[in-house]
Amino acid sequence: MSRYDRYLFSTGAGLLALIWVLPLLYAVWTAFHPSAYEANFTLSAPLTFENFAKAWNAAPFARYFFNTFVLVTVITGAQFVLCTLAAYGFARFRFPGRDILFGLVLLQLLVMPDVLIVENYRIIHALGLVDTLAAIALPYVASGFGVFLIRQTFMTVPAELDDAARIEGAGPLSILWRVYVPLAKPTYLAYGLVSISHHWNNFLWPLIVTNSTETRPVTVGLSVFATTDSGVEWSVINAATLMTSAPLLLAFLLFQRQFVQSFMRAGIK
Amino acid sequence: MLDKFFKGAATAAAFSLATALPAGAVDLQFYFPVAVGGGAANTIEALSNAYMEANPDVKIDPVYSGSYQDTITKVITAARGGNAPQLAVALSVDMFTLLDDDLILPFDDFLETDADMAWVNGFYPAFMENSQVDGKTYGIPFQRSTPVLYWNKEAFKEAGLDPETPPATWDEMVEMGKALTKTDASGNTTQWGVRIPTSGFPYWLFQGLVIENGGTLANAEGTETYFDSAPVIEAAQYLVDLSTKHKVMEPGILDWGATPKDFFEGRSAMVWTTTGNLTNMRNNAPFDFGVAMLPANMQRGAPTGGGNFYLFKGTSDEQLAAAVDFIKWITAPEQAAKWTMATGYVAPRPATWETQTMKDYAAGFPQVLTARDQLEHAKAELSTHENQRVTQILNDALAAAITGQKPVETALKEAQAKADAVLKAYR
Repeated sequence: MSRYDRYLFSTGAGLLALIWVLPLLYAVWTAFHPSAYEANFTLSAPLTFENFAKAWNAAPFARYFFNTFVLVTVITGAQFVLCTLAAYGFARFRFPGRDILFGLVLLQLLVMPDVLIVENYRIIHALGLVDTLAAIALPYVASGFGVFLIRQTFMTVPAELDDAARIEGAGPLSILWRVYVPLAKPTYLAYGLVSISHHWNNFLWPLIVTNSTETRPVTVGLSVFATTDSGVEWSVINAATLMTSAPLLLAFLLFQRQFVQSFMRAGIK
Repeated sequence: MLDKFFKGAATAAAFSLATALPAGAVDLQFYFPVAVGGGAANTIEALSNAYMEANPDVKIDPVYSGSYQDTITKVITAARGGNAPQLAVALSVDMFTLLDDDLILPFDDFLETDADMAWVNGFYPAFMENSQVDGKTYGIPFQRSTPVLYWNKEAFKEAGLDPETPPATWDEMVEMGKALTKTDASGNTTQWGVRIPTSGFPYWLFQGLVIENGGTLANAEGTETYFDSAPVIEAAQYLVDLSTKHKVMEPGILDWGATPKDFFEGRSAMVWTTTGNLTNMRNNAPFDFGVAMLPANMQRGAPTGGGNFYLFKGTSDEQLAAAVDFIKWITAPEQAAKWTMATGYVAPRPATWETQTMKDYAAGFPQVLTARDQLEHAKAELSTHENQRVTQILNDALAAAITGQKPVETALKEAQAKADAVLKAYR
């Protein structure tokens, strides 16, 4: 690669990164300045934390954060267990109807979750779970995408490792735990990231199936700022957005290297 | 069979809920949307609490349900799932949608005495147009609004116009707009004459133009639209001409949410927007501003907007009686006055304006009276069967005309043909 090419690449990458990060920079600018400076970028503008205080007081965010944290932990944990077991079955066991069943799992990827809202609500209501954290989590714990992703990873594990473990006297579950799961770590990390950020941001289903502060996630709190009738207060809404996405942003920055590596290994783009 | 199972489960759940409460208590779940700032949700909760204090045998559970769009989704999902709320505030224009899904009950069963009839007839007729069909009342006006024109008095003075006289007609708005539009040395416009926001739901403000031009968008039964009639096409042409011919309005789609900001920063000297903005304008405009009725062409005119109370099927008689009592209480003058002052919504009953609270408020802030006075010229907001699809058809046509993708007449003729195809089933 010539030196000229390299400059061209890094300039292009820099430009793309800048375009990508502009909305975030704007959010940071408006969140830390009084609303008079929303579209007025003078470096001498006074800094303020008032927008954050206003945003924090507009809804019971402490409780909402706790709920969201419990929610994504439960969902991701349950997904790991269920998807791992299903993926192991599909990847390493022969049983009648296996391919048809796997086809059905893949079919789930084609169904938009929003289409199922009414049916899901009916079932949750029949179970008596409306307005609980379990109601938000249940429709998502069995993930077709997770099963598919982990199965593909398990398929790449050399059969020799499996055989060697069996010769040592390990049973199927022990092989899964000692051989397959450790080798699929990058996949789990990548899938976990996708799953956590998706459920952190999920809004419509939690809004519909819950009614009280005790069960609602941060996204519902965030929606009080979408006051279309009276004009949007960008400084407050951006402070709230930064506040609610901060844990994810921080986690990503801390684990950035691992994430990027695992994405490259797991082949998710 | 399965249906029965679910119904059984629902009854069981309802039963277990009922037994958990003190004997004789009536439990009401109440979904409400929030579309304005200023702590509207807190006001609703405070009002519900005040009602419960006065009526200890009723327990109201107010549930915030997002935007209007989210609220209707939540209401319909819960109702189809066998768990409808007992009462909810949803857009007045969703009445036909809720009726088509067979989810709501008329208020008429509870309007037996003369006092009840007086109550239901005590709302502004313009608000009741979107609330009644076939002689029955399905909605009770609560958070209702109407668009008005806000003008910047300082900008008027600077342009050599009388700061106390807003435009009364379309022609005056163009003339004043021309005086108010300022360009700098390099040819960029620094201040536009007028701004009619057109993002998201352009049909609403456009309907104001249509009524002013003597036209109408749909019939009261919600089965016919008149998108390609002469007054409608003329109104659309006027809207487009403001940017292209008269050059008094910024071209392109103008964002709704950015409109107050645009006004505060002096980039538009006159703006059309909802009365729901009044409190925001009052708190944040750095200059003296006025509020006027929308200018007339053939006549004055404006649509109404906002949300009504609805009652839902699957509610027991006891709950219904309590729900209607609550609605009567919250729309009564004292409570409605609190609500109007907190949000800027137009108090839906003339009696509210007679209270001392409202009189004092209007004395210090006479701008609030404009919306009320405009109500006598206001008409029902566009509402048809399959309302979301039909209004979307009109929105798309208006966007195509405003951005110059299609000539005005072609866009509206196509929209009428599409709306006809949707509404044929209901005629």
